[in-house]
Amino acid sequence: MTSVCIYFEVHQPMRLNRFSVFNIGGDNGHPSNYFDHKLNQQIFEKVAHKCYLPTNNLLLDLINKYDGKFRISYSLTGTFVDYCQQHLPEVLDSFKELFKTGAVDLIEGTYYHSLSSLYDELDEFEEQVKMHRQMIKRVFNYKPRVFRNTEAIYDNRIAKKVAEMGYKGIITEGTEKILHWRSPNYLYKPVNTDLKVLLRNYTLSDDVGFRFSAQQWPGHPLTADKYAQWMSRCEGDLVNLFMDYETFGEHHWDDTGIFGFLSHFPGEVLKYKHIDFVTVSEAVERYQPVGDIDVPWAISWADEERDVSTWLGNDMQVACFNELKNIGRKVKEKGDKDLGDTWRRLQTSDHLYYVSTKGMEDGAVHAYFSHYDGPYDGFINYMNILQDLKQKIG
Amino acid sequence: MPFTINKEEKKMKVAMIGWEYPPFKAGGLATHCYGLTRSLADKNAKVFFFMPKTKHKTSSDKKNLRIIEVGETDIFPYDRPDSKEIQGQFFEAVYKYNALVAAKVNVSIKTNGKFDVVHCHDWLTMKAGIAIKEETGIPLVLTIHSTEYDRSGWVYPNQWFIDIEKEGMEKADRIIAVSNFTKNVIVEKYGIHPDKIIVVHNAVYPLEEGHKQEIVLFLGRLTIQKGAEFFLKAANKVLDYEPDTRFVVAGTGDMLPQLVHQAVDMDISNRVIFTGRLTDDEVKHIYGISSVYVMPSVSEPFGITALEAISAGTPTIASKTAGFSEAFNNCLRVDFWDTDEMANKIISLLRYDTLHRTLAKEGRREINLFTWDRVADKTINVYNEVV
Repeated sequence: MTSVCIYFEVHQPMRLNRFSVFNIGGDNGHPSNYFDHKLNQQIFEKVAHKCYLPTNNLLLDLINKYDGKFRISYSLTGTFVDYCQQHLPEVLDSFKELFKTGAVDLIEGTYYHSLSSLYDELDEFEEQVKMHRQMIKRVFNYKPRVFRNTEAIYDNRIAKKVAEMGYKGIITEGTEKILHWRSPNYLYKPVNTDLKVLLRNYTLSDDVGFRFSAQQWPGHPLTADKYAQWMSRCEGDLVNLFMDYETFGEHHWDDTGIFGFLSHFPGEVLKYKHIDFVTVSEAVERYQPVGDIDVPWAISWADEERDVSTWLGNDMQVACFNELKNIGRKVKEKGDKDLGDTWRRLQTSDHLYYVSTKGMEDGAVHAYFSHYDGPYDGFINYMNILQDLKQKIG
Repeated sequence: MPFTINKEEKKMKVAMIGWEYPPFKAGGLATHCYGLTRSLADKNAKVFFFMPKTKHKTSSDKKNLRIIEVGETDIFPYDRPDSKEIQGQFFEAVYKYNALVAAKVNVSIKTNGKFDVVHCHDWLTMKAGIAIKEETGIPLVLTIHSTEYDRSGWVYPNQWFIDIEKEGMEKADRIIAVSNFTKNVIVEKYGIHPDKIIVVHNAVYPLEEGHKQEIVLFLGRLTIQKGAEFFLKAANKVLDYEPDTRFVVAGTGDMLPQLVHQAVDMDISNRVIFTGRLTDDEVKHIYGISSVYVMPSVSEPFGITALEAISAGTPTIASKTAGFSEAFNNCLRVDFWDTDEMANKIISLLRYDTLHRTLAKEGRREINLFTWDRVADKTINVYNEVV
C-alpha cells in the first residue's frame, strides 16, 4: 500500500505601505498604518474569488463524492485567518465546512509565517506557535498533531523544539541535501529527537505547483490519469504532495485547466487499488520511520537552493533580520502590546522574500510575488519602517 | 547565407557614417560608435568609419577599422538650430557634411569596391545614407540613439529634424533602436512598422572604482532632456536630512546659468559643485569616487552614463522611462519628476550601507553582460538580414 498525502499551505502576508525616509520619526499615527490595508484587501479578495472559494467548493464536492476516501490537510497561517475574519468570513466558513467532513486535517505553524525559528533563542518561535494553536482551537476546536514551519524551514534544533512542544510529526523538504540516495517516500526520524518527519516529494509536487502550465515542459499537458499513473509507480509508504494553495486558480489560472485536473485527480488515483489518501496525522500514525536525518543547517522548500538563502541570502536581508531581532528585544522589555503586534506582523517572511536579489529562474518567481519595483525598493521600504518602529519604541 | 568570421569567406564590408568619435565626444553616440566599430573589427568585419574632420586627430590601431575624416564642420550632434555660434549656418553645414560624405563613400567604392551595408547614426548622417542607398542600392541600416522628441524633452520638438528622421527611418532597410522605449517612439511618432526595428541595448568598457566619498553625482549635458533641475530639487531635500552630502553637477549646456541660479535660490550652492565640461580622465575619476549616481532624464533613449557609473561601483538611480532602466536589474528607478522619491533613495543609499554594498556588487556583476562584443554580434545579425 502506498498513501498519498496532500497538504496545502494557505497564506497571505500583510503587505506594507510606501514609507520613505521622510516618514521616519514623523507623526504617522498608529503603527498599523505601516500596512497597505487597501492593497491587502484587494489582493485577498481577488485570490479568494480566483482560488480559495472555488477550490474549497471543488474539494468539498470531491470529498463527498468519494465518501471521505479523498483526504487532505491544510496549514492556514494566522495572518490568513485574520484576513478571512476581516474581509470575507465566508472563506473561513468554507474551510470549517471542509474540516467538518472528517477528511480534512489541520497543521500547526507559526501564527505570522515568520522566521522566528531562526532567532538565537526559540522563545518567540514558541509563542507564535502557541498563538497559532490557540487560533486553531478557537476557530476549529481542534489540536493539530503535525507541525509545518514557515516554508518548511527545518533543522535539528527546530525539530527538537517541535517534539518538546508535543507534536508527533513535522513537515519539510525531501531534498537530496539531507536524503542523499534515500527516497522521500518514507517517514524519517530526526537524529536528535523523537518525531516523525514527512518529506515533500518535490518532483511530483512541483509538477503541479510549478510546471502545470509550462508548455515547454515534456510532461505538458498534465492530465489527472497521467499524474495518477506516475504516482502508482512510486515506491515507498508515502507520497507527500505539498504545495501553495494558490496553485489552483492563482499561480495557474482557471484557463490552464488546473481545476479540471484537480476534479479528476482523486478518481484517477483511487482507480489503483494499492493507493489511498491520508491526512498528515494519519500518515504519522500509520507509518514508521525508516531512518535518521541529520540537519545541522536549516533547509526549506524554497528556490533551487532549498535553504534559507531566499530570506537571508544577501546583506540587505541579513541587516533587516538583525534589526528585527534587535527591535524584538526592546519590544519585550517595554511590553507595549500594540508595538508588539506590529513587530510580529513585520516578521512575516514575505517582507524579507521581497528583498531577495537572486537572479535567473528564482528571481522571476520572486518578482511574480512582489509588489515592489525590485528587491532594493523592498529593502528601502521595509528598513525605513523598521527604523520608524525602533524610534517609536524609544 | 549568414555572415560568419570564417576566414575563407568574404569579409563583411561596412561603411559607417558617424558624427563624433573619441577623443572628440559629446555624448553616447561617440561611445557607441567607438565600442561597436572596434568589436566589429575584432569579429573580422571591415569597417570604414566616416566622420567630420576635427581639431583632434582620430585614428585606429586596428587593421580592419579605418577612420576617414571628411571636410570640416562646427556642428555638434546635440546642437539646436538656434545655437548662437552657428546661427544661420546650421542647415547649410548639415547638408554640406552629408554631401561630402556621400561623395567620399562613392570615391571609396571606386577604389576599394562596393560596401555590403551602409550604417548611419541619428539624424545628422541620414541624408548621406539615403543618398548612397539611392545611388548604389547598398542596404541602409540606421541606429537611433535619440530622436528629436528626446532632445527637446518633448517640448516644442523641431519639425525640420523630425522630417529628416522620418525620411531616414522610412528609407532604411533596418533600424536599430537602443531601447524598447526608443522603438516605441519610432513606431508611434514616426509611423514605422515595428518588425523593421531591432532593439540592441548599449554596452560599456568597465571603469575603475575609486575611493568613495559622500558625493552624489549628476553627469550629462545641462539641457532640458537630462533633467538636472530635478537633481537639484532632490539635493535640496536630501540636505535637510543629510547636511554633509556633496552634490556634483558635471557637464555643461544651455541650462547651466539657470541651474546655478536655482542652487543659489535654494541656498544649497555651498553643497553643489558645478564642474563644467570634464576631460575623459576627470569623468572616470568622478564616477569612481562618487557614492551615488543619479540620471533623472526627462527623456532618455538609453543612458550609457548609468552603465559607466555602475561599472565604477557607483549605485545608480535612473529615470523609470530611461532605456537603461528597462534593460538593467540592479539599479534604483524613479519618475524623474518625483524628487521626494529621488531624495528618499539618495538618503537610503547614504544611510544603509548594506543597500549600497549590494547594489554596487550586484551592479558590477550585471555590467559584465553589457559588452560591445554582444552589441557587435547583434548588429551583425541585423546586417545579415539585409545583405
